[in-house]
Amino acid sequence: MIEPKRVLRALAEHWALLEPLCEHFDQGTLSLGELRAQLAAQQLDSTPQDITSLLDVWIRLDILVPVAKSPNRFELNAQIHDFLAYLRKEHRLGLCLEIEAYLRHLERLAGYIQDAFDIRDGHDLARQLRLLDMRVRDVLKKLANDEQALAAVADRAKTSDRQIPLRQRYAEVLATWDEYVEPMIQLVNADGAFEQGVRKVENVLLRMLTEQQRLGHLVDDDMLLRTHARILEMQTSAQLTLRHARELLLPLREEARRHNAVTRGAALALSAIRRKGLDAVPQAAMPLFTRPQSTFLGSASQVEAYVYALANFEPKPARFPKAHKSHKGQAQRAPRTVKEMLERCEDALPMPDLMTWLLEQEPDGATDELLYWFSRLSREKRFKRERLERRDYHTHEHQVSLRSFALLPAGTDAAEQPASTPYAS
Amino acid sequence: MHLDLSELSQLAPIFRELFKGYHVSRRDPELYAQLSNFQDQYRTLFKALGFELVCDTRGFYYFVPDSAIASAQVNKTAQRLALFTFIIVEHLADQGRDPIAVLDGGSLGRDELPSLLDKYRDLFIQAEVQTQEELEEKIMRRMTQLGFASEDNGIYRFLPPMHRFLDVCLSVQQDRDLAASVHSVLPLPAPVIIDEDSDEKLLKTDDPLDLSDFEEESEEDALARAIAEEQETDA
Repeated sequence: MIEPKRVLRALAEHWALLEPLCEHFDQGTLSLGELRAQLAAQQLDSTPQDITSLLDVWIRLDILVPVAKSPNRFELNAQIHDFLAYLRKEHRLGLCLEIEAYLRHLERLAGYIQDAFDIRDGHDLARQLRLLDMRVRDVLKKLANDEQALAAVADRAKTSDRQIPLRQRYAEVLATWDEYVEPMIQLVNADGAFEQGVRKVENVLLRMLTEQQRLGHLVDDDMLLRTHARILEMQTSAQLTLRHARELLLPLREEARRHNAVTRGAALALSAIRRKGLDAVPQAAMPLFTRPQSTFLGSASQVEAYVYALANFEPKPARFPKAHKSHKGQAQRAPRTVKEMLERCEDALPMPDLMTWLLEQEPDGATDELLYWFSRLSREKRFKRERLERRDYHTHEHQVSLRSFALLPAGTDAAEQPASTPYAS
Repeated sequence: MHLDLSELSQLAPIFRELFKGYHVSRRDPELYAQLSNFQDQYRTLFKALGFELVCDTRGFYYFVPDSAIASAQVNKTAQRLALFTFIIVEHLADQGRDPIAVLDGGSLGRDELPSLLDKYRDLFIQAEVQTQEELEEKIMRRMTQLGFASEDNGIYRFLPPMHRFLDVCLSVQQDRDLAASVHSVLPLPAPVIIDEDSDEKLLKTDDPLDLSDFEEESEEDALARAIAEEQETDA
């Protein structure tokens, strides 16, 4: 039997040496040579004899134990290792299965408690209740440990090098999710083992409280109430741990999934573009940039002219028809409607030169009106246009220099003229 | 809603930038702060003017064009930038680097462009990009102009608006039809985007003042010509 005080004193005295060693032992075992080298590096002024005696103390106190079948290799005693891990807040994530096993045991204990109560065995009842209480504490301890371990998993993923592949970076997160969080979700579910176990134990305890009122006390009510409270604490704690786990890991898991989705999407798009060209990317997905009216008024000189015209604007005097005067001469022709012009234009297809046609149609038309019709008709979707060379046109009052269009019905010659070819220069 | 214009102190620069198709993000702290502080006011005001201000929760603002107008025309710039994003994502993933970390606030050196161009030459050709100058001019410069990236000493830093292109990757991934169509012979729906290179079709209007079709020179050219003429007159 090793005296606990001596173990604790040794741990306290040699903490500075033990703590760095813990990291090595977390990774695996150490040979005697490695152990000596580590200690020598930490204690520069120590002699080999000092190190030997130090190791001797640790081995005698069972702090260090030889690895099975490798007497020259050592590891920390598992109990001490757990204790040190607890002190160093280095938590290893447990298994969901462990918690499930504990819960099954709790259910069995509830059965034993019921049996002991039924046969009125106060001694066994008290023992079973104590065991139940200890087991619940075990679960609580495990949950607290797991929560710390989960936080560490998330931290490692978040702080790792941003340049390493996400798959690698989040491997631990994804594995933790699959192996711990997902089964825990199942376990803590309303119809999962956790809830069932807790409910069963709770029912037994509550029934016993009532029965004790009726049949007389076998154990102190306080003990039952305390155990009941601890069971409920365990339930809340499990839910909280799970919630924290989800809060910590879900965003990271989503990020990893998103990363996979983005990479896959990009590869898919590139593959489609390779096969079918740039237009293969679905249009709905494309970002739209706005530049709707950047050339609204045309060139700078046109802006200037427009502003000048605005500054010198004078309304034309309104002329009202006079009732006593009869209208002489040719009746004023009604302005053409877009529909009318489009129909006329359509009838005249194919049209070698839109501007010439317009001048033929409206020899006395005002220049701005002709230009409006030129603009309107040349943009009409039902026509296909082909840019002509620049030349001068003479309207009724002006000479206009522009590059007109030849118009064809939209259906014709589509192969030669892709729809996306820009015309404006 | 009551609009107090005195609150909207950055209205002019904000409108000017958004109107140019620029994406305002935290890189422009003043504009961004104004937009986030008075988001509703700006949105209401712009809406009344016929502009839809999109406030993306990932930290950027932009104008979205009228979808009816937008769907009329394929936007070369958006296609090029989307292609570049796909390429970067694949390239980084191939190298074992994290594409999202790079495209969401990370950076890319100009010196990485030649190898990229070399590796994806067949794809870049489709976007009419054949040389590094063209890559920088048609893609990288446009990215910085539209607020998707910033450039400093040969380092391109990607800004939050890049999420718009990452979203394209996601929607492509979710598009089961696309996956199927990669192996089919049917044409895919053409992307419809606006950009300043090929936006004349988007400018289709019945407005008689719309003279864009008659314009044979850009504003810059016209200005240069006017200056030259004036100098001649002076001389």
